[in-house]
Amino acid sequence: MCKAVNYKSCFDIIGPIMVGPSSSHTAGALAIGNVAYKLFKGLPKKVVVRYYESFAETHKGHGTDYAIISGVLGFAADDPRVPKAIEIAKSKGIDITFIEEKDDSPIGHPNTADVYLEDETHSIRTIGISVGGGIIEVKHIEMDGFSFDLQGTLPVCLAITKRKDFKPIMLHFFAKYNVKVNMAKHFEADGKYLYEFDLDSPLPTAGKEELSHIDDQANIILL
Amino acid sequence: MYMSIKEIVNTANERQISISELAIEHEMKQNQASREEIFEKMKKNLITMENAVKKSVEGEGVFSLTGLTGGDAVKIAKYREKKRTLSGDSMMAGVQSAIGTNEVNASMGIICAAPTAGASGIIPGVLFSIKDKLRLTHEQMVHFLFTSALFGMVVANRAFIAGARGGCQAEVGSASAMAAAAAVEAAGGTPQQSSEAFAIALGNLLGLVCDPVAGLVEIPCVKRNAIGTANALIAADMALAGITNVISADETIDAMREIGRQMPRELRETGLGGLAGTPTGLAIKKKIYGEDVSNKSLITS
Repeated sequence: MCKAVNYKSCFDIIGPIMVGPSSSHTAGALAIGNVAYKLFKGLPKKVVVRYYESFAETHKGHGTDYAIISGVLGFAADDPRVPKAIEIAKSKGIDITFIEEKDDSPIGHPNTADVYLEDETHSIRTIGISVGGGIIEVKHIEMDGFSFDLQGTLPVCLAITKRKDFKPIMLHFFAKYNVKVNMAKHFEADGKYLYEFDLDSPLPTAGKEELSHIDDQANIILL
Repeated sequence: MYMSIKEIVNTANERQISISELAIEHEMKQNQASREEIFEKMKKNLITMENAVKKSVEGEGVFSLTGLTGGDAVKIAKYREKKRTLSGDSMMAGVQSAIGTNEVNASMGIICAAPTAGASGIIPGVLFSIKDKLRLTHEQMVHFLFTSALFGMVVANRAFIAGARGGCQAEVGSASAMAAAAAVEAAGGTPQQSSEAFAIALGNLLGLVCDPVAGLVEIPCVKRNAIGTANALIAADMALAGITNVISADETIDAMREIGRQMPRELRETGLGGLAGTPTGLAIKKKIYGEDVSNKSLITS
């Protein structure tokens, strides 16, 4: 069967350990917020979340709001602060807006959230879908002058750099850690390159540590 | 990656090892981790399940913020003390754990999704129901979780496990089938019998809609965890008795996927149809959110 496989690990099925009440709407929403956090690198001044379909209908009952904000703040799914995330964000002066969109999801999935973060210096946008059991796909990213769609199955590694020769360096790095790269592509904008690597399995802990030391000039993000 | 139950059963038979061993092997390879690391990680999930069940019967029990659900695990625990349960104590012990876990979930407590939060009571429900009778060690209980996970992975990749995609059959149905398969292995059944139990349990819950009142994981989710647990135990017993299915486990999963695709969106976790759409369901929604929320398009928090 040739299709993207989202559930690669037993722990995608039994797990995550999380604050209730919904794995799609709470744990999954938190995971989408967490992607925004990783892309933004730090706390924003402003957050705008657009919900579609099932997310729009039921976000209030499922704690989706505090879950997404928990992700934006960098909390883990089982962090006891999760239900208090909105108050915590407000106390840090973060302006938050939730919008229930009436239209169908632009991605064609009932659990779609579009998260926009900004501060004085930069902004990012990401559209994620929560596919069940806390697992998500990242469908669209806007950052650093790039705007692109992804197939979405995680893990995905992004690298933004001025170097035109970065792909073999990264492929060599993943090979060293026995991580198969399902797809590698790159985009160009304003003399910069964004490389996307869709990984078949998670990077071992040692690899994660080494990732940030590959190139000081490159912005490398593991989703 | 196992994309069919048949492949799991055949591999286990060819190599003469249990399905939980296949799951552990898969996980070691996938994460490039040692057996101990993988085992410890799953043990944490088991401990989270045990803690949720314990928490559910402390004092008067746990209640959700809305007060719509809570306290029923305590009622069952007290009822069991009278030793006159109609369906037997181990059945009601399972139901108690299932309801208790989901009450903790509804109260924003910490649970382990299995495979989802809405259906998180079923796997612990079945496991804690059979553990005394089968004298399961902690290690065997961890194996139970691995077995159920491998079956769940096939459902998740071949169909779905989210109510928003496939209704409650995808959540409670999947959890019940996973638990039934694992219970068969724990009781000493064959991999094929696990597969039969899986097909019976999932087949029994096909078509189950996801209709949460006010969009909350409370009504009917908490009680459906009880049904998923009882259904799993019955399916496991039937398979262990030698009952087989005309329609295979894989075809049952495919049927579940097609039913989900045909299900109207009102019955897929939107909180619009089914029990959510009853006069009482709608009144509860209005009471919780004030005015008619469907007319409100912008909320600033």
